[in-house]
Amino acid sequence: MIQFIFKGIIRDRSRSTLPIIVVSIGVFLTVLLSGWMKGIFTDMIDMNANFSTGHVKIITRAYAENESQIPNDLALLGTDTLVPLLQKQFPQAEWVERIQFGGLLDVPDKNGETRAQGPAFGKGIDFSSPESKEASRLNIQHSLVQGTLPTKRGEAIITDDFAKRFNVKPGDKVTVFGSTMDGSMAFKTFIVSGTVRFGSTLLDRGAIIIDLADARDMLDMDNAASEVLGYLKTGQYNDEEANAIRDSFNTKYSNPSDEFSPVAQTLRQQNSLGQYLDMAENMSAIMTFIFVFAMSIVLWNSGLLAGLRRYTEYGIRLALGENKGHIYKTMIYEAILIGIIGTIIGSIIGLAATYYLQEVGLDFSSMTKNVTMMLPPVYKAKITPELFYIGFFPGLIATVLGNALAGFAIYKRKTARLFRELEV
Amino acid sequence: MNNNIIEIKQLTKQFPVGSSFFTALRDIILTFDKGEFTGLVGPSGSGKTTLLNIIGSLDTPSKGEAIVLGKSISKLTHKEAAQLRNRHIGFIFQTFNLLPVYTVFENIEFALLLQHLSAGQRKKAVMEALEWVGLTDKAKSKPAQLSGGESQRVAIARAMVKRPELVIADEPTANLDSENSHHILKTMKQLNRDLKVSFLFATHDEKVMQYLDRKIILKDGKVVEDNVLEAINL
Repeated sequence: MIQFIFKGIIRDRSRSTLPIIVVSIGVFLTVLLSGWMKGIFTDMIDMNANFSTGHVKIITRAYAENESQIPNDLALLGTDTLVPLLQKQFPQAEWVERIQFGGLLDVPDKNGETRAQGPAFGKGIDFSSPESKEASRLNIQHSLVQGTLPTKRGEAIITDDFAKRFNVKPGDKVTVFGSTMDGSMAFKTFIVSGTVRFGSTLLDRGAIIIDLADARDMLDMDNAASEVLGYLKTGQYNDEEANAIRDSFNTKYSNPSDEFSPVAQTLRQQNSLGQYLDMAENMSAIMTFIFVFAMSIVLWNSGLLAGLRRYTEYGIRLALGENKGHIYKTMIYEAILIGIIGTIIGSIIGLAATYYLQEVGLDFSSMTKNVTMMLPPVYKAKITPELFYIGFFPGLIATVLGNALAGFAIYKRKTARLFRELEV
Repeated sequence: MNNNIIEIKQLTKQFPVGSSFFTALRDIILTFDKGEFTGLVGPSGSGKTTLLNIIGSLDTPSKGEAIVLGKSISKLTHKEAAQLRNRHIGFIFQTFNLLPVYTVFENIEFALLLQHLSAGQRKKAVMEALEWVGLTDKAKSKPAQLSGGESQRVAIARAMVKRPELVIADEPTANLDSENSHHILKTMKQLNRDLKVSFLFATHDEKVMQYLDRKIILKDGKVVEDNVLEAINL
């Protein structure tokens, strides 16, 4: 019987073409949009993790309360013992120290007088250790517009927008004015080794990145860091692992009554990223639901039209001794076959388009110039294993649901009435 | 021994029309014996097709009883009625009603698919049915490639392939020319004689009447005449 139905579907284009096209388009869009949204959210989360939150962040309780002000007077102390301890206790993550600071960037002229000045957001990261992955984590090499990464102490990179605004070129000197962790004035002059553009307005507006050791010197932060960030060695954020580290660390080392005691936070707990994570995780389900709903309505209607056209066939089949329940069942089998064919076609096209968007992406940076969120400049899709099967949900559910709804009218019709519609 | 295959007892059929009812058949009493070649004759609206539908278990009586092959039609469930049609009753329609996307072979085979016969058994039965109607060379053709006469012969083969006890034919010659009409009537008559299959026609075609053994005239839902005839002998 399946063979009989299959022949009917293949030979009767009007029975199969439209539903297969609808299913293919729906599945294609489900796969593509799921992959693309997943890619965007993953990129956004990764970007936040790499630049700001880590997968797990350790800061002092007091720093946590005023984090937006970058209060280095409340920074973590004794990081020379804390970091090795973390590496030993939680080897599933890589632990790095970072210093964040705010200040004034001063550009001197040839006489050493101020030529230009502007507020800057600074970051001290480990450029100098040979095993450090910080430069690649922040994608600095690929973001370089001019010059090189800092190769020795006293060098800095600044954002390209900043450099253009102040007419600064690699090799020029810039001075950072800020305050030490003890509250006294700090200033240090750096040679610009290169300029970078991350593609995120928030980062590109005005930032200077220096070596961690330079930041310590400038801000009097020996054995101290604004934060210690943990990155899971799998490279991907994982709630379960991050929570395990956080809970274990906080139980052992965090004291709620001591505002200077360290506290661990997962990525989910920071910058409302929990909601984005939930959206990223649920994106496939959301897309599936939308397309199941939309396609079911379309397929219901096309099923009704096909059903009307096929009353003659149903009448003949009733006369030949097929019961209505069996006719209804064969309509569902047809839906499953059409759903499978459409899903395979839609998935192949969807995966190809997703792969293209994964490699090339779409550049929305010009549209997000004034956005203060940390957003990736190029929105890329991401092919995940679930994209290979996710299309089967809308593809099969929508066709079966559409045909089931359409077929219900036939099922409810009296045999004699259906038969009379044969026009015999 | 009782040789009846159909027994109609005080059968009335009404259809709702607005708030009242239209009576299509009124107190019909009839019996049909095995192997009959009978025609229900009458003008449009006389109730021929309604009676055939009830005998074919596609509809049920409003009052009275129709016992077909020992089964009371009004007592059958949907499934039982479908099974009765599938195993014991063949249908031939005025407009042939072949499934256009399937070949001649597949059209005839369909009834056997429902009986869950093996592919070998189906093939044997279909080819035998095509032999009866002289269309073995058209097995792979599509209905659109057939003439009207050929299409109706395929429809006969489809009705006969399951070796039913009863074949119901509603105006089977209405869409055929004279030559084709005689051809298919001869075929049916031959099958009636050779396989002892009962044929029940609804017709007002004079050509059909020449072949009938019995003619029942219906008018306004009532039997007005029931005559045994001297039919053409093949």
